[in-house]
Amino acid sequence: MDMKRLKRSVVCADNSFTTQSHSRAALRMLLFFAALMVLLALSMLLGPSGIGIPDLESPSGSAILSLRFSRLLMGMMTGAALSASGVVFQALLRNPLAEPYVLGVSGGAGLGATLTILAGTGVVASFSLPVVAFLSAVVTLMVVYGIASQGTSGQPSVYSLILSGVIVSSICSSIIMFLVSTASVEGMHNVIWWMLGSLQPVSAGQQLLSAALLFGALAGIWLLSPRLNALALGREMAHYQGLHADLVIVIGLLFATLLAAIAVSLSGMIGFVGLIVPHVMRAIFGPDHRKLVPLAALGGGVFLVVCDAVARTLLAPVEIPVGVVTALAGGPFFLIILQRRMKQAWIA
Amino acid sequence: MMQHDAMTFRNVSAGYKQRKVLNNVSFTVKEGEFVSLIGPNGCGKSTLLKTAAALLKPLSGKVELFGQDVQHIKPALRASLLGVVPQKIESPMAFTVDQIVMNGRISSMGRWGTPSPVDHDLVERSMIYTDVLDLRERFFTELSGGEQQRVALAMVLAQDPKIIMLDESISHLDINHRQEVLQILMNLNREKQMTILLVSHDLTLSAGISDRFLLMEAGTLVKAGTPVEVLEPEVLSRVYNCDLHVQQDPYTGYLQVTGAIDSLRHRQKLNRSVHVIAGGGSGIELYRRLLIEGYEVTTGVLNRLDSDAEAARALNIPAVLEQPFSPVGSEVIAQALKMVGDADAVILSQVPFGSGNLVNLTLAEAALNSGKPVFLADGITTRDYTEGKAAYEHAMQLAAQGARFWRTIPELLAMMMQIVYYGKTEN
Repeated sequence: MDMKRLKRSVVCADNSFTTQSHSRAALRMLLFFAALMVLLALSMLLGPSGIGIPDLESPSGSAILSLRFSRLLMGMMTGAALSASGVVFQALLRNPLAEPYVLGVSGGAGLGATLTILAGTGVVASFSLPVVAFLSAVVTLMVVYGIASQGTSGQPSVYSLILSGVIVSSICSSIIMFLVSTASVEGMHNVIWWMLGSLQPVSAGQQLLSAALLFGALAGIWLLSPRLNALALGREMAHYQGLHADLVIVIGLLFATLLAAIAVSLSGMIGFVGLIVPHVMRAIFGPDHRKLVPLAALGGGVFLVVCDAVARTLLAPVEIPVGVVTALAGGPFFLIILQRRMKQAWIA
Repeated sequence: MMQHDAMTFRNVSAGYKQRKVLNNVSFTVKEGEFVSLIGPNGCGKSTLLKTAAALLKPLSGKVELFGQDVQHIKPALRASLLGVVPQKIESPMAFTVDQIVMNGRISSMGRWGTPSPVDHDLVERSMIYTDVLDLRERFFTELSGGEQQRVALAMVLAQDPKIIMLDESISHLDINHRQEVLQILMNLNREKQMTILLVSHDLTLSAGISDRFLLMEAGTLVKAGTPVEVLEPEVLSRVYNCDLHVQQDPYTGYLQVTGAIDSLRHRQKLNRSVHVIAGGGSGIELYRRLLIEGYEVTTGVLNRLDSDAEAARALNIPAVLEQPFSPVGSEVIAQALKMVGDADAVILSQVPFGSGNLVNLTLAEAALNSGKPVFLADGITTRDYTEGKAAYEHAMQLAAQGARFWRTIPELLAMMMQIVYYGKTEN
């Protein structure tokens, strides 16, 4: 190594350099939070008749505001769950297109949820909904992964995973359709509305339970996040660096599936949030999962709230299902990533 | 200083579900040794590394790192004992070089993955060591293969392990950085007593830097010892299933392993032609070797049904042919004489002589008369089936006129190179 190069390197390693990039990152973070706040506020104020503060004096005005607020909470929870779930799936499967919807995990959770919804209503149903959704999602993930890794010794390829996810997902939705077509009119209405994806507030009990599970799962994933960085280089490398790699993968996948199940049981089938938000966050803040996990959760929540505001107001008084809005935004995004993936390495 | 056993394989068999790859492998690597693991593709080198790093559990036997069973060492402790640089690392996401190298500290950092000053120091030092500090802000994915490999090495160095295993990690590097990385490894080995196990396909390069070689073949350890002990042409040629030579550089003492391909690669057209008098299959190998050496070859007179005639046709060698079971006609002889006239030399193969082909010796005589070198295969008397040993008599006359005898093909080729190519006629 010649001295000249060495010297230049040391100058490069000077603290001033890192400080500069740190302050830039801090500024970016500040702008991001400001934008989130503005977006949330706008969503609260946006109604069928444009932006305005509802008359808090009148009972209808305060009712509207409280309804919007509970939808905002629903959106925050669902979006955060979907987005964080996408981050974990993408890291552990080392696959840029992985997210609960595409992998069929949402579909599996949906099937479980449909069965619960049709089986009965009331307190037991609303509490068992997330649990059953979680269990059926876990089974679905195992089936999808099993099909995709058939014949390969290592990790399944990007495409085989997506392919088997799509297939299993469509099988799940066929079964849901079958169940719906044989159900009573009321059951059919419930399931279809839920399936289209909407942020209509669920019962307070279910909200509380979901919130508790959500915070637990998010905290768990955040604890895993430094290890997710190492696992991005593959299971083998993570093992060499002294991680219980297989254990981290299993725990991570379980948490991610739980998050997807929470989202599905709260708001139905909402696609592509788990795909778009992690990629955008990675493009802005880099792939370091210690930052990415909380930022993606926040960003995902706000994204879904904004989508919901659009869904409520675009064709007011008719309300579009929020799943339609996210899918319309997410579909083209998915294609862009797919195309970039073919052209170059996975950057963003 | 007493040398500890850094890594010990005790009768280890290992592999995958259906396929056993390693078969009863035993060896010991001492602390501070630089060992090269060699062997043909698919002989189990990578499986051996995976077993050593506890990624694969042995089917039977035991792997020990510094006396402890590697299966029972906690992962974080294992990472501080043993680092592995794989053939290639792939980052699916746009991590910076900084972040990648920091992964080396992952098992020593706290629950929240916050690096301590020690972690920062180790990361920076290993980046300086591997000359990647300049790249620290760059995205790993946009680096060249060689740069990525040095970053991978930096990451493993940041682990600060006592043993480093490299799985053909240097074969992607250009010559400059290969030397540099080897220099780094040698420094680590000498200054820090780091134990190095290098999987290598460059036997010559490894011979120059290793204390010891481990030679594997089909899942077993064939030989272990110093480079001189292991790099034996016979053993290597058998294990690699090709012709390999080992030479010692007279000045440096380094061993050099070369294959047949090395000598082929430098061949060019010699612009010399030789006429070969053959028959009965005695010409086949001669034709082949002469063509490989770069000579233009002609041959004749041959019997049309002779296997040498077949060979000449297959190798696209111009040949003068005669009907089977008939004496050589004068017209055919005239054609052959013209070929000899165009040739720079004439070679007589180990062809048996009878009355039918005795006339071929006149071709050699004609060549001698026009001042061209002639090479006669030795031991004509044993192949002479003519009456009164006429062929032997004739050959002796030719020898008296300046024809040379040859015994083996390499000897012949060496003489040809001297006399026909370089034009040296002194003997």
